[in-house]
Amino acid sequence: MQRRDFLATASRWLGLGLAALLPFGAARLLAPASASPPQARPGQRNYLRPPGAKQDDAAFIQACIGCGNCAEVCPPRCIRFHARDGGERLNLPYIDAQARACTLCGKCMAVCPTDALTVTRRREIDMGIAQIDRSACYPWVDTGVCGACVSVCPLGEHAIGFKMWNQYRPVVYDGCVGCGLCVEVCPHPSKPIWIVAREQGSVARHSL
Amino acid sequence: MTTPSRTFLLRRHLNKLRWLSLGLVFAMLLLLPMLSVYQNYAAAHAYDLLSADEKAFYDLMHGLTAPFTADPAEDLDAIKGTTWAGRFFGYKIGDPLSAVGQLAAGGALYWPLLFAVLIPTLASLLFGRFFCGWICPASFLYELNTGLGVWLDRIGLRPGRRRLDRRLKYLVLAVGLGLSAATGTVLFAAIYPPAVVGRELYYAIALNGFGTGAVFFAATVLFDLLVARRGFCRYLCAGGALYSLLGRYRLLRIQRVPASCNDCTKCNVACEFGLDPMRDGFGQECNNCTACIAACPTDALEFRITWHDQPYQGPGHLGRRYRRQPGGDTPERPADGGEG
Repeated sequence: MQRRDFLATASRWLGLGLAALLPFGAARLLAPASASPPQARPGQRNYLRPPGAKQDDAAFIQACIGCGNCAEVCPPRCIRFHARDGGERLNLPYIDAQARACTLCGKCMAVCPTDALTVTRRREIDMGIAQIDRSACYPWVDTGVCGACVSVCPLGEHAIGFKMWNQYRPVVYDGCVGCGLCVEVCPHPSKPIWIVAREQGSVARHSL
Repeated sequence: MTTPSRTFLLRRHLNKLRWLSLGLVFAMLLLLPMLSVYQNYAAAHAYDLLSADEKAFYDLMHGLTAPFTADPAEDLDAIKGTTWAGRFFGYKIGDPLSAVGQLAAGGALYWPLLFAVLIPTLASLLFGRFFCGWICPASFLYELNTGLGVWLDRIGLRPGRRRLDRRLKYLVLAVGLGLSAATGTVLFAAIYPPAVVGRELYYAIALNGFGTGAVFFAATVLFDLLVARRGFCRYLCAGGALYSLLGRYRLLRIQRVPASCNDCTKCNVACEFGLDPMRDGFGQECNNCTACIAACPTDALEFRITWHDQPYQGPGHLGRRYRRQPGGDTPERPADGGEG
């Protein structure tokens, strides 16, 4: 009899536990984790974190409460969300620089209620660093003059400039913070400029 | 016996005020994403490049906001966000559940977030689950859904009226905290209906359309229709559990005045949370929604400032049971009351 009581109690608690798990399971099942979009090049960051984001991905996921305020204040509306996928990244923000890039205005950092995005000085933001494919970029293969990336860069000569003696060949300097505006404006269909993690990038040195 | 005249401000209209409040919050959740899109257009300074639809939208928003702002791109940032987390004239306000969930996920306190949830927490300590009844945008939809259930009942489709154990939601809260700590994710963000509603409205209006949260919310609405009236709020909502705990010793409570009660059960029918106002069964689940006050024909329910409920005070003095019993004193509380 005691055993039966125990089994009854145990099954009741099991049922209760399953019922309590139900909403979490439903939410997770609806948004399965998906593979990140295919990288055109090794190390390419297709999805950038908003500026001021915690560098460690796990720490960022822990800190973000998925409120969406960062996107709501974003003037270019470049911040999007893992709304229908993402698994544990569900409702976390990202920036797809090829579609719409960050202008480093800093409003998202100011509005974030948690430390997922912390207010960072513009030059110290680290979303990555731009890399240029010199075998495709129009001026580098001598198929035209361009300079779109250099003109649009919000950090100017600290981040990107023209190679000495050759006016329109862009090179990236270590001041680049990886906002991705150059990626957005690049007119080449294969986007021969892209963002990688800072430690994976290589930069030109300022040398005159 | 005469009914004591106990009136207080707006007694009859509190429930309408509550609907006004719910509607305003919901309208705000619709308006803010539209303002965000308008700010996007305004910041781009490219009116001439907009399509005809976008121009019409821009003109509408401009007409709405022009009297109040000179520079929409900056001034309209004053109010942002949802009830889950937002900014109100420089002050950040957050849902207490967001701080609790983030604390569980990250294991560290971030004091600006605690500061943001301070006012809602203090208000819950004073007013109990008032957020659920007066502000929550999901409650707005759930109550409309209850009305839909009434209509369905009239045409012969009977909505579910099951009673579960209302302590289940505390288990949901505990399980959510454990899972958040185990996975390092703020899981409540995905299952807490007001957060889901605010976010999905934003996704639908300003971004690329509804996310999966809309499907989750539709499932909760179906749960309410098919299983239990207001079932998600009563049995599964983790935020409701947290607010119930915070409001356990709330100071503002609805209480019954047996001297003017006639045991008509209208309050019990009106109570969306399935509580038992007619037998003084309020408890920490009561969200001070005042539906019972509005339904009471004899004004036997009123707000009082006290930190505990009355035990069952016996049948109402205007009712038949009170007149039949010899002394009219407090009899045993009926056993069928309360649970669920």
